[in-house]
Amino acid sequence: MAQSSVDGTTTDLVQAAAAGDRAAFGDLVEAHWERLVRLARSVAGGAEAEDVVQDALVVAWTRLERLSEPAKFGPWVSRIVFRRCLRANRRQRGRIALDTIPEPSGSCDPEASISAWQVLARLAPRQRAVLHLTAVEGMTDAEIAPVLGITAASVRAHRRRARASVARIVGGGRS
Amino acid sequence: MKTLNDDRVRSFEDRLRGWSRRPPALSAAAARTRVVARLPRTSPAVPWLRLAAAAAVLFVLVVAAWLGAPRPAGEAGSHAGAVAQVAVGPDVVVWALDARTTVYFVLGPGGQERGGA
Repeated sequence: MAQSSVDGTTTDLVQAAAAGDRAAFGDLVEAHWERLVRLARSVAGGAEAEDVVQDALVVAWTRLERLSEPAKFGPWVSRIVFRRCLRANRRQRGRIALDTIPEPSGSCDPEASISAWQVLARLAPRQRAVLHLTAVEGMTDAEIAPVLGITAASVRAHRRRARASVARIVGGGRS
Repeated sequence: MKTLNDDRVRSFEDRLRGWSRRPPALSAAAARTRVVARLPRTSPAVPWLRLAAAAAVLFVLVVAAWLGAPRPAGEAGSHAGAVAQVAVGPDVVVWALDARTTVYFVLGPGGQERGGA
C-alpha cells in the first residue's frame, strides 16, 4: 500500500485526505486503528469491534469535508465509532445477556469469576464508553464529552453510575 | 476514606486496562489496506462537483420540460385561423406561411397551375 506523500501532523493528513489523498487517509487509519478498536471492544464487545471500526472509518472518509477542525480528527472519528457501536448493540440486543454473561457465583470469589467484558456488558453503552475512556485512555471529562456528544457533567454522572454498577456486579450483588 | 467498593472498582479498572490492551486481530497495517480498499471512489473533497452535476441535471430537466410543454393556443392556431378566413374552392390550396403571408395555389385543368401570394 502506498504511503502518503504528506509527512506531518494529523492536521496535514486530514487536509490531504479531505482533498482526496487516500494514502493520507491510510496513514490516519494506521495511526488510530488500535485506539479505536479498544474503544469498540469496550462498547460493542470483542466479536464485532474490528468490523465496526472498519465501517466507521469508511463513513469517516465520506464525511471528512464536514470536519471543520482537522486537529480534532481523533475525537471526531471516535464519536463515529461510538455511534456505530450503539447501532451494533441495538442489532445484538438481548444476545449478550442470553449467550455470554453467566451470573456471577455467590459461593466463590465473584471478582475472579467474571471477565471485564462480562461486567461491561451489564452496563449501559455510554457507561461502558465513559469507563473505558477514563480508565484505559486516561481522558479527561472535557475530552470525553465531545466523543459521546454529552456534557462534561453528564460524563461525571455516567461514570458515577457505572462505578456503582461495577461495584455491585463484581461484589456479586453485595455492596 | 477508601471503601470496599472503591477497591472493587479499582481492581476492575485494572482488569479492564489489561483486557483492552490486547492487540487487535487485524494489525494496523492490514487494517489500513482493508479500509483503503473499501473507500468509495468519489473523493470527499469535491462536493462542488456533486453540486455542479445536480445543477446540470436540473438545467436539462428544465429545458426538456420547456421544449415539451404545449405551445400557447394563439401561436399554433393563428395559421389555421388565417387559412379558415380564405374562401377556398375545391381546386384551391392555401398555405398560411405566417400571420401576414398566405400562399394559395389554384389547380387548373390539365395540370396547369396558377397562384399568387
